[in-house]
Amino acid sequence: MYRYEGEDVFVIDSHLHMWDATEENIIHEGGEQFIQCFYDYHTAFTPEEEQWSLEEYRKYGADRMMQDLFGSAAVDMGIFQPTYLTDFYDEGFNTAEQNAELAEAYPERFVLNGTFDPRDGEEGLQYLEELNDKYDLQGVKLYTAEWRGESKGWRLDSEESFRFLEKCAELGIRNIHPHKGPTIRPLNRDAFDVADVDDAATSFPELNFVVEHVGLPRLDDFCWIAAQEPNVYGGLAVAAPMAVHRPRKFGEIMGELLFWLGEDRLLFGSDYALWNPDWLVDVVMNAELTDEQRDEYGVELDLETKKKIMGENAAELYDIDIEEKKREFQSDAVTEEFGLGDHYESSPAPADD
Amino acid sequence: MSTNSHGDGVTEAQVRERLDRVTDPELDTSIVELEYVDEVRIDGGTVEVAFTLPTAWCSPAFAWMMATDARDEVEALSGVTRATVELREHMHDAEINRGVNERRSFGEAFPDADGDVEPVRAELDEKARIARQHDATGALLDAGLDGAQIASVTRDDVVIGADRARVWLRGGSLAVAVDADPLERYLDKARATGLLDDDHPELFRTPEGEPITPAAFETVRHRTRLAGVNMSGQGSVCDALHESRRAEDRPPLSMRSD
Repeated sequence: MYRYEGEDVFVIDSHLHMWDATEENIIHEGGEQFIQCFYDYHTAFTPEEEQWSLEEYRKYGADRMMQDLFGSAAVDMGIFQPTYLTDFYDEGFNTAEQNAELAEAYPERFVLNGTFDPRDGEEGLQYLEELNDKYDLQGVKLYTAEWRGESKGWRLDSEESFRFLEKCAELGIRNIHPHKGPTIRPLNRDAFDVADVDDAATSFPELNFVVEHVGLPRLDDFCWIAAQEPNVYGGLAVAAPMAVHRPRKFGEIMGELLFWLGEDRLLFGSDYALWNPDWLVDVVMNAELTDEQRDEYGVELDLETKKKIMGENAAELYDIDIEEKKREFQSDAVTEEFGLGDHYESSPAPADD
Repeated sequence: MSTNSHGDGVTEAQVRERLDRVTDPELDTSIVELEYVDEVRIDGGTVEVAFTLPTAWCSPAFAWMMATDARDEVEALSGVTRATVELREHMHDAEINRGVNERRSFGEAFPDADGDVEPVRAELDEKARIARQHDATGALLDAGLDGAQIASVTRDDVVIGADRARVWLRGGSLAVAVDADPLERYLDKARATGLLDDDHPELFRTPEGEPITPAAFETVRHRTRLAGVNMSGQGSVCDALHESRRAEDRPPLSMRSD
């Protein structure tokens, strides 16, 4: 468990991937462009000494991922968000099935999200049900800019999409995570436009819409929608690593998010392996607003707020009982493997013991 | 300074000054300030501008806007008979350079594109207007005006001078003087978005383009602040990508294609 000034912070990384962008898996030039674009973001927002080579970045595998998440106790739990891109990658880039390798090995530590694509019609509905039967889904990650044959994307507020959202509601899949963020080459910028979240969120008040990447570069549209739709949340993947080289800008963005959404509707996510929680959690926990920003926005980014953002808000959405988890993690497989026992003892032994 | 129609008088400084008016439409910041301009080559009345964007995969529509704007701004200088651009290291540099220099339309240069570049430009102009309104109304608040007064200011109430602008209040019985720059910048975008000749005389508007009621003034201020933070936030993303792309030890990965 991460410790900040003597206090425990239970971290749920709400945005994880285990991807395969090896050359053997790439079947379309878009696949190569996509991973290179990811790599540009990786290097732009990662401290130099933490940067990976492109070869490491293409495929890192389960062991490395476990080490990065739990080796230095940066993260307590994680949520897998799949990104299929099956037009670009033979076996998919990061599918629920691929992520299941770890999620099923350590079910107490991971939440496994599914996905749907309304362009798949009946077959797609069936696949969603299958995923739900298999993994008992609580959430889906949606990639509205994904290419499918001639189509370069789809809208969350379309009639076809609503059929799938209805199915989610029926199956008890409450958390909908649309990627609404930076354009990833070669995908179309407009297919990431956050505007379609508005109608979907109004039409499905029983579902939660966690907008990944807080709509950047349309933070303004996102905040305005979220201010009016209480079931819209912000996923901080991409925004969080701005704290590395652009702390002032990070503070400003957090100021806006806290002003418009409040502290209960923001979720930390590393977007691993875009960025690594191994160092990112520490950077975000140490980020501060300037006095000027505090005055301007009338909000605080204090420890209580950070605890919500780093874990408590995700726990709320995914029915995770943090105290219960702490007890469970005193002796689970991950704790054994990484020697984390001390982290979950209810009262740490005195220093001079 | 003398220039003539044969164009042997144009200087690089003049060209750069002109290019300073061209903005990255997503960031509403000058391409000169953003250091996108690599080189200006002048040969008599012919000027070529070479520029590079933060990433090889910047939106082709944005790249197109900057390329055509640069071409047109430079060509508007007296003494320049022809301006061309050279966009470098972009995934679509060949299409853009050919299209812009051969004066083709975006649709001709990119037959596969979903739509034309004009709606994109209009959307970004609107966002730039909203962000600039924050600076302009901020200057008026600093000068002591209240929300209701600012909401009622019309185009005719504003007189732009060399450094200072005067804003007339109460039907012309009182004027306040403020820095001209934020108001002038706002007027440019208000003009570009058609607000100066629509049905409403009020100069400042909601993001949707409606006059501002006094009760809504505070919320509109917050929304205009947000528009600015969004633009500068995206600016930071571009800037970080730009730096990382230009790092000495960085191979030009983004250009690699298999």
